[in-house]
Amino acid sequence: MMLEKGLEEKTFYLNLGPQHPSTHGVLRIVLEMDGEFIVTADPVIGYGHRAHEKMAELRTYQQYLPNMGRVDYLHALAYNQCYCMAVEKLAGIVVPERAEFIRVITSELNRISSHLLWFGAYLLDLGAFTPFLYCFDDREQILDLLDRLTGSRLTYCFYRFGGVPVDLDDDFIAGCRAFIQRLRSRWDDYDNLVTKNVIFIHRTRDVGILPPDLALRYGVTGPTLRGSGIPYDIRKSEPFSVYPLFDFEIPTGERGDVMDRYLVRLREMEQSLRIIEQALDKLPAGPIMAEKVPKRLKPPEGEVYIAVETARGEFGIYLVSKGDVKPYRVKLRVPCFSNLSVLPELIKDTMVADAVAILGSIDLVIPEIDR
Amino acid sequence: MPAQTVIEKLTPLVGPEKAALVDYAATGCHVRVEAQPEQMPAVAAAMLAQKFFLESLTALDLLESFEVVYHFASYDELCRTVVHVPLPVGTEVPTLSTIYPGADWFEREVFEMFGIIFSGHPNLKNLILPDDADFHPLLKDFVASS
Repeated sequence: MMLEKGLEEKTFYLNLGPQHPSTHGVLRIVLEMDGEFIVTADPVIGYGHRAHEKMAELRTYQQYLPNMGRVDYLHALAYNQCYCMAVEKLAGIVVPERAEFIRVITSELNRISSHLLWFGAYLLDLGAFTPFLYCFDDREQILDLLDRLTGSRLTYCFYRFGGVPVDLDDDFIAGCRAFIQRLRSRWDDYDNLVTKNVIFIHRTRDVGILPPDLALRYGVTGPTLRGSGIPYDIRKSEPFSVYPLFDFEIPTGERGDVMDRYLVRLREMEQSLRIIEQALDKLPAGPIMAEKVPKRLKPPEGEVYIAVETARGEFGIYLVSKGDVKPYRVKLRVPCFSNLSVLPELIKDTMVADAVAILGSIDLVIPEIDR
Repeated sequence: MPAQTVIEKLTPLVGPEKAALVDYAATGCHVRVEAQPEQMPAVAAAMLAQKFFLESLTALDLLESFEVVYHFASYDELCRTVVHVPLPVGTEVPTLSTIYPGADWFEREVFEMFGIIFSGHPNLKNLILPDDADFHPLLKDFVASS
């Protein structure tokens, strides 16, 4: 495919991936190089395509639930939540408040674990090994907590139509509170180790600037967008679940460079801690499942679009029902699809080392793009 | 109210009563628009002028015909606008990639999954499927092997 355009005499092609450590998955980027500088970049995706949208049309609503943990395996609970919300809206199921609280607590824990993994993996990309060991230690605490509750450490399939199947117990709540204290005590370490590190600053400041109008034309969302100063977060812009009950901020950047995107994610983790803390304090008593959710779910004819904020941006489900036991069409609008499509603009005229820094700063999960 | 503004801007482009308020609580959208394929570039340009981004672009196989479905949303105000474009089999719809470069990939995905041609697209080839795949998996008559 690369030869179609014809090689110019002074440029050559370089394959970044599909088996490159910095692509974090099977992503290939065809780079046209002029010496050390990138002239054009052409991402090649689809190596991990599993036809999730086709599978939706062949399965019942319940049977499709486990797929949601496998689209974006790092923030699986947000995908669980979005799909459940879409089906609940179509079928008119009302979720009890305690279940909504449990969803928010677990989803925010999952968001932190996703950001921590990004933090460690991204610094590995830049050549710093030590931070990885610190943040994986912290992330492990979340995985243990969620493992206790959901039975899995990744690819969660925890929410059900109408609520959640397992209630929080005292040990989970105590573990959660201990984790909040622990992670808060770590922020200074992270800042001293990474944020104030002069090598890190030189690698990230004023690199890969994403102007807001470019973001708008590509439909960029999530921390990648908020680094450019636009406070668009579905949890605030289009409040869902019980998020309006909590007091939290949307961190944004000023310059839209790699450093700003890094800072946004770091600050977001503290905001997630605040949400979890408030949710634990306000946790209401009551049922965790709606009554009388039919085993054989047949939502009436109609269509719905539901969006949630995942760790990487806006995930939306466009669900069309024709009154059957299977969905007629499920479109998964995934954040990284749009966020990656802007990459060629960002890495044009940069050097390969910067391209790796910019690529990592978008926080891509490739199976989510391929679906 | 942003939804009213969207309707006012789009009505001259798509005709009277084609753009209307819908129940947000039931559908997740504020405005529903029905447009003809040739009206789409003007609709998209009007949405971009109001600072909307292209949230999603997909298609439905309705057996006798297709429907291309566009979702627009705004960073500033909550107003999701869905545009339905009925498309008889064998007809084309103009590309939006010159207005929204983000539409480039969405349209390539709809092209490979449904076989819908986006006229004027600069690079209309498979995106997710292999380059030599000549089938369209999201058509209702495509049978997935078990």
